Formats: sequence, structure tokens, C-alpha cells
Amino acid sequence: MSEATHDYSKTKKTYAKVGIALGVCTCITVALGLYPPFDVGPPGPTPGDFVIGLAVATTKASLVALIFMHLNHERGLIYKLLLFTCVFALGLMALTLFSDLDGIVEQYDTNKTTGGWMLNERPE
Amino acid sequence: MEIPYEVTPRRDTGLYNAKLGVWLFLASEVMLFGGLFSAYVFLRLGVQDGVDNPWPWGVSVHKSFVWLGAINTVVLIASSVGVVFAWVSLKERNWRRYQIWMYFVVACAVVFMCLKMVEYNSKLNHHHGIKLIDNSVMEGVILDQTDELRFNGETITFGLQGALPAVLRDLDSKEFPAFTVTDGPEGSAGTELKTASAFKSWFHDSRRDFFKALATDRKRYRAEIASGVANPKPVAVKGNATVTAAAPFALHGSPRKIVGHNETTVNYRDGVKVEGTLISDDVIFEVHEVDMQLVLPQQQRESLVWDVIGDDAAKQSFFTQQSQKYQELVSYYDKRGEVVPEKMLRGRLLNVHYVHVPAEGHEGGEGHGEKDKHASVHTSETALTAGSVGGEGKHGPSRLLVIPREQVKFMGNHGPRYGNYYAIYFTMTALHGIHVVGGALVLLFFVVFGKKLYLKNPEHLANRVEVGGLFWHFVDLIWIFLFPIMYLL
Repeated sequence: MSEATHDYSKTKKTYAKVGIALGVCTCITVALGLYPPFDVGPPGPTPGDFVIGLAVATTKASLVALIFMHLNHERGLIYKLLLFTCVFALGLMALTLFSDLDGIVEQYDTNKTTGGWMLNERPE
Repeated sequence: MEIPYEVTPRRDTGLYNAKLGVWLFLASEVMLFGGLFSAYVFLRLGVQDGVDNPWPWGVSVHKSFVWLGAINTVVLIASSVGVVFAWVSLKERNWRRYQIWMYFVVACAVVFMCLKMVEYNSKLNHHHGIKLIDNSVMEGVILDQTDELRFNGETITFGLQGALPAVLRDLDSKEFPAFTVTDGPEGSAGTELKTASAFKSWFHDSRRDFFKALATDRKRYRAEIASGVANPKPVAVKGNATVTAAAPFALHGSPRKIVGHNETTVNYRDGVKVEGTLISDDVIFEVHEVDMQLVLPQQQRESLVWDVIGDDAAKQSFFTQQSQKYQELVSYYDKRGEVVPEKMLRGRLLNVHYVHVPAEGHEGGEGHGEKDKHASVHTSETALTAGSVGGEGKHGPSRLLVIPREQVKFMGNHGPRYGNYYAIYFTMTALHGIHVVGGALVLLFFVVFGKKLYLKNPEHLANRVEVGGLFWHFVDLIWIFLFPIMYLL
């Protein structure tokens, strides 16, 4: 086959670089979670931390998918297949999450469960 | 047989068949893990106070595991790099280098699983929590089997219909008590059961006889009805038995098998009743953290947990840490001219703190107050254990707490049943672990048995490795998401 004589040194360099990038991203993720200076917003886990953490994870995942899994140059059929998968996976996740918008649950949460824990009652 | 499109792409798809196949498989895997990820999001958004055991917000509950998780992430990334290099080596027709990379990948998988085992072992055997009846939670360690009921049994009553009574596993196997059947199926009274195996075989025989007698009696009943007897005698076969021990026997009752107990009786989940005398049902515990997430702030100072801990300094230190954290929050929000959001007040940040109970002074001493009535029930053995063995905490040895069982709402290790977080954690990481094992086995197969194919058609082997690698990268990809959501966020 012609590929057997193909020069792979450039490919290998790309793979090594991606590997290093993934390692660096892991360090960022750990730093975000463990060290206060990297903590976004108020101390402790907040939606901001979550968004950044997931953004880093998504970057890593994209690197793996695009370079290691060769999705940067793949046949159209596979993209179509993955499009369907993503639509269904995200759609079903959204269906589950719609239940969280249920007004009845919301009312229960604020009125009953946290009853008595008011903003003006600050611990000494 | 020649299978087409192993190497050459099909004209209509533009792909060799295995690649299309593995992508279809990965699509189904995305759906599988997608479902579990949405379960995670659902559970996390739905955390409600008091309903479940607390969600371990942030990192404090498993600080030590974050590094294990981080190392595992790096290990998996390294293995992913290894797979692509192995594939390139095949493309370059370098068998030796291919072998090295593939064995490197398998070694990475082994390291990953070993670290996973360390983590599971720690969660299952060295971290426990006790939720008291007012929803305050203590995190720490239940000392070796001190969550068992300590009971002196005399008689055991059990049914003959079901499985072997679970109580047998709570008896001392070396000193099996000599039982005599005092009540049971006809003709069995007085039978002596001196060993566990004698007990078992007698049980199995009696169960067989019981079902035989039941069948006979049912036949008799049906015959009576068929022959038109006015008042047929109902089916009645004695299906339970009582055995009495010659001398009281020690019972180490596993709390998971017991539904209830009092001073004279222990009732097992499978319906077995043991009568005798309760020695002690207290739990001996070394406390590391107190978690007040589920207790309203105005009730935190009067919480049951302080009675159990019985140490004013520990209580003070908890509330000092709480107000420090609170000041941090206030100063953060003051700078922005905002009020501390309610959600932050409820969270772990403010309500979970390290608590140290110094070892000096023996248990049952000052500060126990209303617990004194329990002190009299303790055996000298328990008191000795509690007094002499001191756990090593952050600041020297800690005192072991004696927790009366009626104040315990839930206790257990950090296994799946501890709470929603641990349930989803174990489900997802274990499923991922199975994928790691499966993927590693496939890759190992390609390197151990691949030489023949390599010599025949190296391109075919390269395609196989590419397809196996696709699965392996997918496993890596799942972990990339699992690591931050389970350990850090």
C-alpha cells in the first residue's frame, strides 16, 4: 500500500503535542478545583467553576476526538452518525432536566425545605 | 473465507467495515453514558436538604482522592498517546516499536485499575458516616465491626420455608453453640444440633419434609372438597422451629440484616427471631468531620451531635471555623455590594468542618449528660476498647465516641448506599472501569496474537489497532468528563 511508505514524522509530532496539551489541561482542571486563586467567583464550588471546569474538559475531549480519533478528517457518514447520537443524547438529557423547571418542586424547595433559613439570620 | 473491506474502503461508505462498526458501537456507548451523565446532573440539581445523605460538595470529603483521580487522568492520557503511536508504528511497519507501545498502553490500564482499587478500598473500608436522628452527620471511621449488635442469645426461632437463617453467619463459627430443637416439625423435638453443618443439614431435611407434608395436606384438602365434605379441614402444616442453646451464645449481629431489636429480642430481616439478653448496641466511632448541611442554623448549636461528642472545645472550634468561612463569604460579597446568597449558606462550605476530640479523659465522663443511662449497659470490654485505643487524627490521638444506636438514623461506609453521590459515583466509575478492562484485553490480544496477521497483512492489523484505539480513546474521553464532575466540582 502507498501508506506504508508515507512519512509519519509530522503525525507523530502532532500526537506528542496533543498529549502534552492534554496534560496541561489536566493541571488546569486540578488547579481550578483545589487552589483558591484559580477559584472563580465566591469561594467553594459555584456555577462559574462548573462552567470553566466543563469548558476545559470539553477542550480536552475535542482534542482527543479530533486528533486521536481522526475526526478532523473523517468520512461524511461518521459525522452524520455522530450528529444523530449527539441530538439524541442531548435531547434526552434535556428531557430529564425539564422536570427541574417544574414549578411545584420549586415552590416546595424554597418554602418548606429551607424554611427558617433566612438571609438576615447570619451565624455569629 | 475472504471477508471484503477489511483493508480497502467500501465504495459507498468510504470506510472499511470495522471502522463503521466501531463508530456505531461508540454511538450506542455515548447514549449509555449520556443517560448516566444526565442521571448525575439530575441528582445533583435535585439535592434537597434532609432527603438524602449530604452531597459531598467540593473536595473536602475526598481530598486525598483528587490526586489519585488526577494521576489516573494523566495515566489514561498517556495510554491514549501510546495507542496512536502504536498505530503509527504499524503504519511504518515497525513491529518492535508497536509491541513496546501496546504493552505500555496495557501497563497504563493496569496502573489505572490499581489506583481505582486503592480508592474503592479506602471509600468502602476506611471512611464511614453516621447520620443522627436530627440529621446531623459525623464523618469518620467506625472501628472494626463496632457497628454490630453485641447480644447473648438463648433461643432462635425461624421459618422452614425460606433460605438458611442469616443469623448463622453472625455466630462464632469456631464455637458453634450446641442447640436442641425445642419446638418444630413433628418428631423433631429433642434433636441435638452440635455443629453448624449438623444444623444446616437438619434445616435442609426439615424444609424438604415441610414441603412434602404441605403437598400431601393440600392434596387431602382438595380431595375433601371434591368429595363434598361440608367443612373441610384447612391446610395447616407447622412451618417454623425453635432451637435452644445449652448455654448463652455470643451473637455479633450485623446491622444490615437486622430490622429491630430491644433488650431481649433481635429480629432479623428474614423473619428470624433471637431471644436472649442485649449486651450493648452502641457504635464506637472516631469522628473526623461534622456535617451540619441538613440541620437548620438556629438548631445547630443544640444539635444532638454535640451531646454525642461531649466536648465543648470541639463544638467551639466547629463554630469558629464556620464564622471564619462566613466572614470570607461576606467580605467577598460586600466588595460587590451583594448579599450572601442563600445557597452558599446551606452549602458544605459553611456547614462541614473538621472536628477533633482529644484523647485525654475517658469516655462516659464529662459532657455526656443524658447518655449516662447507656454507660451502664456497656460491657467492660467495650469500655476498654474505647478508652485504650485512640485513633490518630490531625492533632494527635482522638477519643473514640460511643454512640447509642437509638440516636443513629443511618450509618455505613461510603459505598453506593451512603447517598446519591456515592451511588452515581460507583455506578459510573465502575462501568468506566469495566470498559478500561475490556479495552485493555482487546489491545493485549492485538499485540500478543498479532504477529501472524502482521506478517500476512500489516495494514489489516493496523486497521484493527485503529478501531481498538478508537474505543480506547472513547474510554479516555469519558474519564476526562468523569474526573472533574466527580472529584472537583
